[in-house]
Amino acid sequence: MKELLIVEDDSEMQEFYKDMLQGEQFTVTLASNADDGLKKIKENTYDMVILDILMEGVTGDRLFALLRKDSRYRNVPVIMASVLEEKAYRCFQALGNISFLEKPFNKERLLSEITKRLDNSK
Amino acid sequence: MFIKKREIILTINKIIFSSLDIREVYQTMGKELLKVIDFDRMSVTLISENNNLYETFVLSKDYGYTDLKEGVLYPMEGSLMKRVVQFREPVLVDDTSKGRFLTDAVLFKENIRSRLGFPLDYKGRIIGSVNFGSKRKDYYTRKHIDFLSQIAPQLAMAIENTRLFNKIKEAEKKYRTVIENSPDIIFECMKDGNFSLMSPSVEGITGYPLHEFYDNRGYGLALCHPEDQERVHHEILQVLQGVNRNLMNLEFRIIHKQGQIVWLSLEILPIIQENTIIGIEGFCRNITERKRLEELKDILIRDVTHELKTPVAKIEMALDMFQRSVLAGNKGMPERGYQINKILRNNIRRLKNIIKNILDISKLESGTESLKLSDISLVELVKTSVNELKDTADQKENILLYQIPSDIPIIKADRDKILHLITHLVDNAIKFTERGKINISARKLPDTVELTIEDTGRGLDEGVQKRVFEKFYKEIPSAYGSGIGLAICKNIVQMHKGNIWVESEGKGKGSRFKFILPIKS
Repeated sequence: MKELLIVEDDSEMQEFYKDMLQGEQFTVTLASNADDGLKKIKENTYDMVILDILMEGVTGDRLFALLRKDSRYRNVPVIMASVLEEKAYRCFQALGNISFLEKPFNKERLLSEITKRLDNSK
Repeated sequence: MFIKKREIILTINKIIFSSLDIREVYQTMGKELLKVIDFDRMSVTLISENNNLYETFVLSKDYGYTDLKEGVLYPMEGSLMKRVVQFREPVLVDDTSKGRFLTDAVLFKENIRSRLGFPLDYKGRIIGSVNFGSKRKDYYTRKHIDFLSQIAPQLAMAIENTRLFNKIKEAEKKYRTVIENSPDIIFECMKDGNFSLMSPSVEGITGYPLHEFYDNRGYGLALCHPEDQERVHHEILQVLQGVNRNLMNLEFRIIHKQGQIVWLSLEILPIIQENTIIGIEGFCRNITERKRLEELKDILIRDVTHELKTPVAKIEMALDMFQRSVLAGNKGMPERGYQINKILRNNIRRLKNIIKNILDISKLESGTESLKLSDISLVELVKTSVNELKDTADQKENILLYQIPSDIPIIKADRDKILHLITHLVDNAIKFTERGKINISARKLPDTVELTIEDTGRGLDEGVQKRVFEKFYKEIPSAYGSGIGLAICKNIVQMHKGNIWVESEGKGKGSRFKFILPIKS
């Protein structure tokens, strides 16, 4: 089972993730803000992190930059999810091993994005 | 006499190269000439550019009183000067009492009896004359003229040089003033990277002292943000090497001495001497403020987009969830059904709210909205709002209280708008307070009534207090809400010629939203 960490401050969005990933081959952990997310990343090993961008406090893009600066998490596959268009965050692509997922998305789209990112980072 | 003459010529030559103050030149000249020509009055007159007027510089032995004022322009007509210029020859007046010139009468009154005027010829052009006056009659002779004819070219050169130098100095002073007062950085940089000119404004913009730019080669480039350095260097080289004819509006960042980023816009042109580029000249404008506004605009667009797209995205996702649930044979219903229903309602309400707010603010801002004035009681409006919001406050375990003293007068205002205003402020207080207290109070001031909505919630730091009434401003971009509510409140208060503001001791220390409305509309 792959370990997924989802950092998302919107409780309704959390429900969608849970619903879509239920019964799939993943163990899902939820964090409701970037600080909580970072704490969990330090405590456990995750195969992938899904990040919301606009969150209260530290934003998802800043958390991503923090991860890429730390040698321990430099290679963790990341998916950034947002209602905003991908182009606003294209600059992060250079930091590597990242995909964008535009909200709204359905179950198929989410699963294919996760699989693709996991396959690419093998 | 011969030795003296040589000495004088040497001294005058020295003056040409040592002093460029015109008065000093005349004074030294007078002192030196007195050694060989006796005079009671000496003056230098210079012809103005149009040849109709002349300017006098008087130098008397005793500096006694004279009607001829230094630095004043006199008409040429009828003067000794005119004759000197016309005939390019020295003119002698043996006795001013029998004078031929208008000026003779003036000088006679001042006890000058004989005069000698000698033309000052500079490169074939008469620039003026050097004049001597004596209290004795028939004093000046051929001997003096001979002597002056040898020395006059030197005098003319000294005077002309000083005049030209002063003109250049004047022009340079103007140019300096422009450079020294320019808010932009004006500079010249030689090909080797040394600055030959740098305006003082560089100190304010970069935080580094002016001399450091002159002392260190390539200093400007060293201040560039590391990410921009290569690009700036490349673009400058393109001009220096003649690949590009100029550089316009190159925007880049530098790091101020205090560490903050300063945005500059650079324009440069090559300095060309004998068909060779020897350096560059240009100017740099501080565009940090413009960049900051652009950034704010981008953030604003991002936040508004986010706010509009989020509920729509969640409605779509909830419908997708519903569809999957149906396909799976309604597994998990009815709980799943309730959940989906709740998400849909929530987000449709959120969307409707944004649309309503946007329509409200555009109506208010367009100025087409008019007030429907009536007698209103603030107590009644506060009660209505509290009733409406009691449940919301309870849900967050907040205590909602109000104390309106009995002396609060009835005011003339738009009932619906003031109710909206109070309700929004109370709703806002509840939104940012958890397990706390919200208190509504009022007091009567000389011509106004003041209403305060105080909470024990999140509070606002100073930066946020300043911006909270701005349209679309949200302290936390992802927070629920359009960021328009308080802008609407401000508009409503302003329409009533009142005032609205917020007070807070800072983050976590609660806040007090206050507004005043005039008692008589």
